[in-house]
Amino acid sequence: MKKIKRKSVKNFLFYLFVIILMLLLLFPFIIMLSVAVKVTKEAISFPPTIIPKTFSLKHFSDIFNPRIFPFLSYFNNSLYIALITSVVVVFLGILGGYALSKLEFKGKGVVGELFYLVYMFSGILLIVPLFRLLSSIGLKNSKEAVVICMIIQTLPTAIYMTRSYFSTIPKELEEAGRVDGLNRFGIIFRIVVPLSLAGLISVFVYGFMIAWNDVLFASIFIDSPSKLTIPIGLNSLFNTPDYVWGRMMSASLVTSLPVVIMYAISQRLIKSGSTDGGVKG
Amino acid sequence: MKRLKTRRTDTQFAYLLLAPSLILLLVLIGYPMIYNIIISFQKVPLNPKMESTFIGLDNYISVLKDPTFYHSIFITLVFTAIVTTVSTLLGLVIALILKRDFVGKKLVNAIVILSYVVPAICLIFAWKYIFNNIYGIINYFLIDVLKVVKDVPLWFDNPSSAFALAAIFAIWKFFPYAYISFNAILQSVDKNLYEAAEIDGANSWKKFTAVTYPAIKPTLVTVVSLRIIWVFYIYAEVYLLTTQVDVIGVYLYEMAFATHDFGKAASISILLFFLIFACIMFIRKKVFKSEED
Repeated sequence: MKKIKRKSVKNFLFYLFVIILMLLLLFPFIIMLSVAVKVTKEAISFPPTIIPKTFSLKHFSDIFNPRIFPFLSYFNNSLYIALITSVVVVFLGILGGYALSKLEFKGKGVVGELFYLVYMFSGILLIVPLFRLLSSIGLKNSKEAVVICMIIQTLPTAIYMTRSYFSTIPKELEEAGRVDGLNRFGIIFRIVVPLSLAGLISVFVYGFMIAWNDVLFASIFIDSPSKLTIPIGLNSLFNTPDYVWGRMMSASLVTSLPVVIMYAISQRLIKSGSTDGGVKG
Repeated sequence: MKRLKTRRTDTQFAYLLLAPSLILLLVLIGYPMIYNIIISFQKVPLNPKMESTFIGLDNYISVLKDPTFYHSIFITLVFTAIVTTVSTLLGLVIALILKRDFVGKKLVNAIVILSYVVPAICLIFAWKYIFNNIYGIINYFLIDVLKVVKDVPLWFDNPSSAFALAAIFAIWKFFPYAYISFNAILQSVDKNLYEAAEIDGANSWKKFTAVTYPAIKPTLVTVVSLRIIWVFYIYAEVYLLTTQVDVIGVYLYEMAFATHDFGKAASISILLFFLIFACIMFIRKKVFKSEED
């Protein structure tokens, strides 16, 4: 009897903890949503309201109107950079990850270490030489320069990820492909890749997220307003006196949506585990 | 004989596959690394058409004489220590608590990870709004509802409160990474080990030190070293939030793109590289290894 009581107290405390944690973590997002749907006058009134008294979706329609808010242009630029980055990184990840997980070769250890070392010499430490180098070949004020920087930023992790996904695929399947007359590239792209689709999607999402969030390289390489990406574009508006909180918040929510959805999908796919199906069937 | 042959073709094929990545990294990281060293010994004129001049160790000397440099290093080390420790511990504790099965586990998991997935700039807008000095909800709670304080600082405009806000922000943004890592490894810990420990009469703490800690230690080392590197080089999250926290990333960025002294900026990045390298080696060798002896 006493034991049951103690257990239910423990249970109660556990759920209390979970609820408090959730409220705490969701609080900033609740505020964002609240500000996005209330009218501007209420957003800057005192005392502040959490549950809005007014309700309007005007801010959401405003940010999609290119005449009053350049969000769509920012969105397209960010999409361009993030998509190219993640496609390239997935492709290179497939090649590199396959070599490192499935092949025995001289210098394998060194190559592996090299990718790890790149981690320590990344990001801000390279801004000066990368800026000089890419400007000197005419990539100043260009989205392509940002794409290049994002690719090299994400490549080591992408290869590391594909390597670990590929290493779960049994050798027998590759053998079977060989017997069926596939060449080496055929084995990679018709057997290994389809079997690790879930993993490769998460590599794609990783590259997309990093490029979508980037501030550092975009701020170095992009000057003209028409080429700004979402983070630096919104930030540049923030520093002008006439920013509107509701637009900022609705733009933030719309910006978050693609990455949150992509991340959720990739997690779900990983959990359902598509690789172990291959051995049985 | 046949085996030897496949070995050789394996090597060729492996390097064929790795070639694009290796060339990219060589050209865009290896070469810039060396180029960076060269720039660090040069005076680089603003006009790109003019030649840079070799000035020996002048850049290094002027950086090492600059009190702002030491100030930034100090701020960054404190910032890195706080953010790494708290975000890792928080991630670990939450992962341990949420390990059990309960109603709504998936949703809770997703919400814990949210701040890690959402772009920093979006979180920063929320943060700036919440801590606004005129209509911010934090000030309203502290002064008007709870009445715990009469006066609050201008959150983003003085070094100490801005530092605190930036640190809490970074912890909030980064703890899910630790959570995800520990969550994954905790699932793989053999449940029998816990049962065995329970039979031996171990309490929760004992179970943690005897079973959990050895299992998660490799993950812990990785999480801590990666987090140190990332936080040490932090730039965007701090810079977008406030101009009052002079972390070394901001110092370096401004030296390059506000002061336009590329030579000096390059020498700063070289110094930082050695500093972080030494830090990581120290942590791997001393902090984590010593416990094994």
